[in-house]
Amino acid sequence: MTLLLQAIVNGLEMGFLYALVAVGLTIIWGLMEMINFAHGEFLMLGMFGAWWASVAFGLDPLLSIVPVGLAMYALGVLVYRQLMRRVQRGDPFTQIFATVGLLFLLQNSAVAVFTSDYRYLSDTLLTRLSGANVNLLGITIGVPLLIGALLALVLFLALYLLIDRTEFGLALRATAEDREAAMLVGIRPQKMFAVAWGLGAALVAVAGAILANFFAVFPQVGFPFTVLAYAIVALGGFGSILGTLLAALLVGVVQSVTTVYLPPAFKDAFVFASYIVIGLCRPQGLFGRF
Amino acid sequence: MRRVSTVLTAIMCLLLVAALASRTPAASVPEVLIGDVLPLTGNFASLGQQYLWAGQTVEDIINNDYPDLAVPLGPGKGFPGLGGAPAKFIFRDDQSRGDLARTIAEQLITVNRVHWLNGDGTSGNTSIIQPVVESYGIPMSCHPCASPTLTEKGMKWYWRTGPNDRTMVASLFSFLKEWPEHGGPKGLKTVAVFTCDNLFCQDNRKIANELLPRLGFEIVLDLTTKTGATTLASEVQRLQAAKPDILFLVQYPPETSIFQGDAKRAGWTPKVIATSNGAYSDQTWLEAQKKTNGGAGWVGRDPTAIDLVQGRPSWKKVNEIYKTYSRGQTMGELAMREITGLLWMADTINRAKSVEPAALAQAAMDTNTPPEQLIIDYKGIRFNQNHQNELATGVVTQIGWDGEKHTVWPWELAKRANFKILYPNPGWQERDSTPKPAE
Amino acid sequence: MDGSSGRRRARLALAAGVLLGLAYPIPLQWSGYTYFHTVGFLVLINAMLGVGWNVIGGWAGQFDFGPQVFFAIGAYTAAILFVHVGLSPWLGMLAGVLAAMGICALVTYPLTRLRGHYFAISTVAIWMIAQPIGATWEFINGSRGLFIPMQGAQGVLGATASLQFAGRTKALGYYYVAFGLLGLTLWLLRLVEHSKLGFYFRAIRDDQEGAEGIGIDSRLYKVIARSITAAVFAAGGVLYGFWALAVFPEQVLDLNWSTLPIMATVVGGIGRLWGPVLGAVILIPISQIMSTTLGTGPLAGRGIDLIVYGVIIVLIAALRPTGILSLPWSRWARRLAGRPASGRLVGHG
Repeated sequence: MTLLLQAIVNGLEMGFLYALVAVGLTIIWGLMEMINFAHGEFLMLGMFGAWWASVAFGLDPLLSIVPVGLAMYALGVLVYRQLMRRVQRGDPFTQIFATVGLLFLLQNSAVAVFTSDYRYLSDTLLTRLSGANVNLLGITIGVPLLIGALLALVLFLALYLLIDRTEFGLALRATAEDREAAMLVGIRPQKMFAVAWGLGAALVAVAGAILANFFAVFPQVGFPFTVLAYAIVALGGFGSILGTLLAALLVGVVQSVTTVYLPPAFKDAFVFASYIVIGLCRPQGLFGRF
Repeated sequence: MRRVSTVLTAIMCLLLVAALASRTPAASVPEVLIGDVLPLTGNFASLGQQYLWAGQTVEDIINNDYPDLAVPLGPGKGFPGLGGAPAKFIFRDDQSRGDLARTIAEQLITVNRVHWLNGDGTSGNTSIIQPVVESYGIPMSCHPCASPTLTEKGMKWYWRTGPNDRTMVASLFSFLKEWPEHGGPKGLKTVAVFTCDNLFCQDNRKIANELLPRLGFEIVLDLTTKTGATTLASEVQRLQAAKPDILFLVQYPPETSIFQGDAKRAGWTPKVIATSNGAYSDQTWLEAQKKTNGGAGWVGRDPTAIDLVQGRPSWKKVNEIYKTYSRGQTMGELAMREITGLLWMADTINRAKSVEPAALAQAAMDTNTPPEQLIIDYKGIRFNQNHQNELATGVVTQIGWDGEKHTVWPWELAKRANFKILYPNPGWQERDSTPKPAE
Repeated sequence: MDGSSGRRRARLALAAGVLLGLAYPIPLQWSGYTYFHTVGFLVLINAMLGVGWNVIGGWAGQFDFGPQVFFAIGAYTAAILFVHVGLSPWLGMLAGVLAAMGICALVTYPLTRLRGHYFAISTVAIWMIAQPIGATWEFINGSRGLFIPMQGAQGVLGATASLQFAGRTKALGYYYVAFGLLGLTLWLLRLVEHSKLGFYFRAIRDDQEGAEGIGIDSRLYKVIARSITAAVFAAGGVLYGFWALAVFPEQVLDLNWSTLPIMATVVGGIGRLWGPVLGAVILIPISQIMSTTLGTGPLAGRGIDLIVYGVIIVLIAALRPTGILSLPWSRWARRLAGRPASGRLVGHG
């Protein structure tokens, strides 16, 4: 029983980290329905940004969130303005093509600049707390992951308020649903898309900065997280911010509980199998609007 | 319409002329060409870059004069057996993909006309290249590729100076088996095997499953995880519940650091952590452990008694050269195996006094390199009929509190290293409270 | 300018392409530069996969990121039958294609309840489930891979029958087999394109509700479309397996087996039968040229060639998002043939 409870708690803690990675994707893909194969590379850049700020300036990743996020916002806007705006004229599949090119470009730029060495952060606030645990009825909760989870929660709440409760969010959603109609009421869709790309890139880079405390940093780090993030956004349902959060927690728990009893090699397979099962019952994801 | 066909005819003619013009006769050797196809980007890039630096080091050693360096072709420039011809390495990136590795191998053989092919550094992609090399009949080698199958398929043109996984896992568990007779703890019996799911890890897992029961160990848990895992918390729960004396850990550096994080949170350490390659061979991981004491007490396999290199000036000198290419990184275990192999290759080409494949093959089979000419602790180089170096062995080392590796097996070397083996594997609080070597 | 002249021009272009494709390796074989055959082989196999992916992606308009699963099924089926039963690889290919189509139909039918991006992720899901199966299933030797025993040199017929070319004609043989398979795929899919089936696929892509309104069972035809894609991928997988003489799960389930064909399709022109062929002819030589020129020498190991390759892809996407086949080729062809372009009939895509 403790084994199971501990697994659930572990899963929830990881789930919050996954939510962090998925949150940027909910905007670009979940809301604006644009495919970005280079999402993992944005995450990787965020991780490298935090690592570099820590090594070069002694800045803790929890603080370098701000400069890393701002820089990646600019990159996101740039990518939309210079590339994706043009690509939108073609078939949706062209987005895959363009962002695979972007993936090659970004990942190998990291190889060229940083080499493929593994980098580890060691004297940051969260890594120094790495042994600290909270014990609750025989269940161990790691403090650093708990802090990571809280940060994820804050980001999600802020994003939820921004998208669902402000005029800006309304404009964003209107653009996603019907560009022509949005233009009629005076919204400039291209500006909205650019902001969405900026926000998406900034959020996933912030996630990267937090993740850099827990994981090795290297140019190919993005993929395993990204593939889970895609499953999470689809599982939560398109256009639902809170759906993404809940789906991320569910994915964390499914991973962790199945691994306790079943072959660990199938960890991600179980996540995707549950996506299919849930999808067959609810074809719009858990909380999808469309 | 006619114009279209005229253009097409013209293109065909051009192609034909270009092909004819470029068909050059084999010249007398102005330089010895060595093709080196490596995974320099993609999933295996961190391995590939070490092989690249190793190749650049060996090219440097062959082409420049290192009068005091006691390795083949250290003193003097170029190959004396070929009238002083220099070596030219052609490094190529296969993006960690088998189809590209093979295509590039074919390019190196038929367009660049290399005299020797080295690579790819990972066993899976190397086995895709092997049939091509057999077809064209030029010598090929991959020294850090440790999968036993590579030399068990009867390849005519493939050589390997490095030990295979079977030898490596055997040396590790020979140490654990013999340890009680040399003052070690008695009653270490149960083992948990914890591996990733790719070729390298699964080879190790299979060998451990065959070997351990024969040596009297009992496998209580055998877990395979997905390569590229994001968490190992549940796996740690299962390992903890199985209570093994020895954890046999075969994981790459990213997963190893995830395992450390999750084990620390769970507050679990087995009495012995024994690893085979993966993180234990990776310099960046080893350096990172000096800041956290994370590696202290871990046991693993190495090609040489790294703490006894004072007795081997050649190792130190080669490491110095290596560091000029690796941006200051020390020569790791994989680089040592690769450099040893490439120096053997250079020696073979030199002894063949020719770049004809048949002569090279003959020289390779005639190899009988004494241990003094090597930078590491193999007992020498001599091939069996499968072209596997039968003298390739290794030593077992342990990471001490200083973050450095110390030799613990074989026993005669351990006696010289004079290191008191850490046992049991330190707990997490002990690691946190002990001063860290890098601070 | 009338229709028959356009058709004649298309036929001429086809004949020229076939001739060029058949003649391409001959001077190279004679000079020993067989590497170029292998580049040709990669172009042809990726073109073939792209043509196959075009059915589900371009015609039926469904996002499918998981066809590499069927590539693996094909490769494994033929390899297992050859290793254990000694079955000819051509019969193995037939078995692999049937197995892939069957498994695809069974798996895809429930998934067609999902639409759009939800369907896309479900195809990723099948791939994610297939990976650990491939890596740990002992029957197919898991990650340790299945080796196809090498056979010595045989005559042209023997080599073709056993799909194992050796010696100096190794690369040449695989080139022509890939050429033949691509031709067969194009011919069969051209029949599909002009049949009712092709019409149904496009109807579902353009307006699924409308298609259902006129009595087209959209789920059934999506399954058929994906099974056709699966068949082509399985055949490609068999060819790859015997080319590489080893089947490793990591390699046959590699994501590249879907991204590269998708990219070729997009570059060439999605939904057009010949689009992927053109795309592969453009993309793969570019990447090879980059690798040969920028990926070696003192810059080796920095990924410079791939950075430039990425920039080229990004530029193509930004400048021609609708694909190369959508350029005004027919106008250019007319100009080349010495006739003035006529404004009315310019064929923009």
